[in-house]
Amino acid sequence: MNSGNNSNTPATAAPVMPSPKQTQTTAKTVDTQSVLKRLQSELMALMMSGDSGISAFPEEDNIFCWKGTITGSKDTVFEGTEYKLSLSFPADYPFKPPKVKFETGCFHPNVDVYGNICLDILQDKWSSAYDVRTILISIQSLLGEPNISSPLNTQAAALWCNQEEYRKMVEKLYKPSV
Amino acid sequence: MVSDSIANVSIPVASSNPRDFGKKKRANRAAKLKQCKLDARREQWLSQGKNKGSKQELNGGGEACEQGMQVTNEKGQLMEKLAIKPRGEAEENGGYTNTYSDFDSPSNSPTSHTSSVLEGNYSGTNFTGGSSSSSSSSSGGCYSVSMSEEDNEGDDDCLDDWEAVADALAATDKEQEQHNSSLDSPPEVHMSFQLEVSDGKVPAMDTSQQNPKGRGTIPGFPVSFRAWRPDDEFRPQSLPNLSKQYTFPMNSERHYRGGSVWGCKSAAIPTSCPICCEDLDFTDTSFLPCPCGFRLCLFCHKKILEEDGRCPACRKQYKHDTVGGETTKDAGGLMFQVARSCSMISRS
Repeated sequence: MNSGNNSNTPATAAPVMPSPKQTQTTAKTVDTQSVLKRLQSELMALMMSGDSGISAFPEEDNIFCWKGTITGSKDTVFEGTEYKLSLSFPADYPFKPPKVKFETGCFHPNVDVYGNICLDILQDKWSSAYDVRTILISIQSLLGEPNISSPLNTQAAALWCNQEEYRKMVEKLYKPSV
Repeated sequence: MVSDSIANVSIPVASSNPRDFGKKKRANRAAKLKQCKLDARREQWLSQGKNKGSKQELNGGGEACEQGMQVTNEKGQLMEKLAIKPRGEAEENGGYTNTYSDFDSPSNSPTSHTSSVLEGNYSGTNFTGGSSSSSSSSSGGCYSVSMSEEDNEGDDDCLDDWEAVADALAATDKEQEQHNSSLDSPPEVHMSFQLEVSDGKVPAMDTSQQNPKGRGTIPGFPVSFRAWRPDDEFRPQSLPNLSKQYTFPMNSERHYRGGSVWGCKSAAIPTSCPICCEDLDFTDTSFLPCPCGFRLCLFCHKKILEEDGRCPACRKQYKHDTVGGETTKDAGGLMFQVARSCSMISRS
């Protein structure tokens, strides 16, 4: 993309365009630019999508940190509850996954007491084709369909088989954040 | 009534560019259509300018529109040709109605010349039986008064503008229909637009489709009637924008698709890289690194190859030989080549 510009504008634009030698030093800023563009595009797509039960928005001063919310799906033990999450995007996003944590306490087999989430697509199964929207949808569906075999919260995993008791526990522990 | 209108529409065009007949038959008709329209329009305008006098003939004689039009366009020279050609051949009818559709819009234009010719048209077609005076008052008269000066100054500009507008109208006549309120407008005009969309078809088929729609609502260009009446001076500047918006509906739609639903593996080529959201250039769009059909820009592909080297969509390992299409021996390379050619075809 740079080559086209250089051929058209020989001398005057040369200082502006990064030469091959400068690309090493400017690589980081270029990356940041592309990450910004990607995040802005995701934000736009998320706001236009109108998905119910999920939302996310960047924090005031940092587009690399988002706050998201998901609501428990209907006909699950989490119905009627809402959870806040924080998403922190690395500089090499989307080639690396964002760090996603529950801000609201969530009694769930795959969420530990600190809000860390055990979800494959946020770790080794990450793909750069995922985005905030698909992450939030995945977490939303994870609520209703936990992976019992590798629990972070063993108490929740043990209780999952008794949905009525689990529902009571969810209601008891649910503390909606302000 | 409909069949009459078709005949009338086709005639003026045929008369205006008879020499194009031979060309057209020989060459690809679709390719020539644009040029044909242009020629027809210019000739129409020229002949109108010359034949201001003949306009009187038209108006005075309440006879069949065909004859009137012949007189205006070709000064009666081409009577025999007209009688023979346009009627019989369905294909040519289609083609020429297409052509006519483009100077439908000039007809609406406030120019005095056009209005005169149109009056001929309308008196014969829309206002069957009605005298020329009635037609002029209803359709063309008011414009000719207001805009006659501008016509003299910039005919060419108007022409160009009208070409663009005509294209836009043809592309969006359906939308326009919705906007139209109740005006008594010529159904045959509407038809001609439709014909342009589905060129080469027998007019009868089109008319059958048309009539249910076209009757109650106002077809094609009554819109323009309304829009221009209040302030005619702005018409030339504002209308070309319409054409810019509407001449490439496919592109805009594709762009939308590419931007939003980039995850899908359909054959649609996104216009921006789903990974970095930068626009895909031609090299990128002809680059299909994975059989699953997931497209991304070369830059992001390279970055992925430096890491795990898996396709973001299907997680399959990228085949390194597909990069840049340098090696075409393996299956992967061949696939890439095929995909490349396909994509180029779909683009053009």
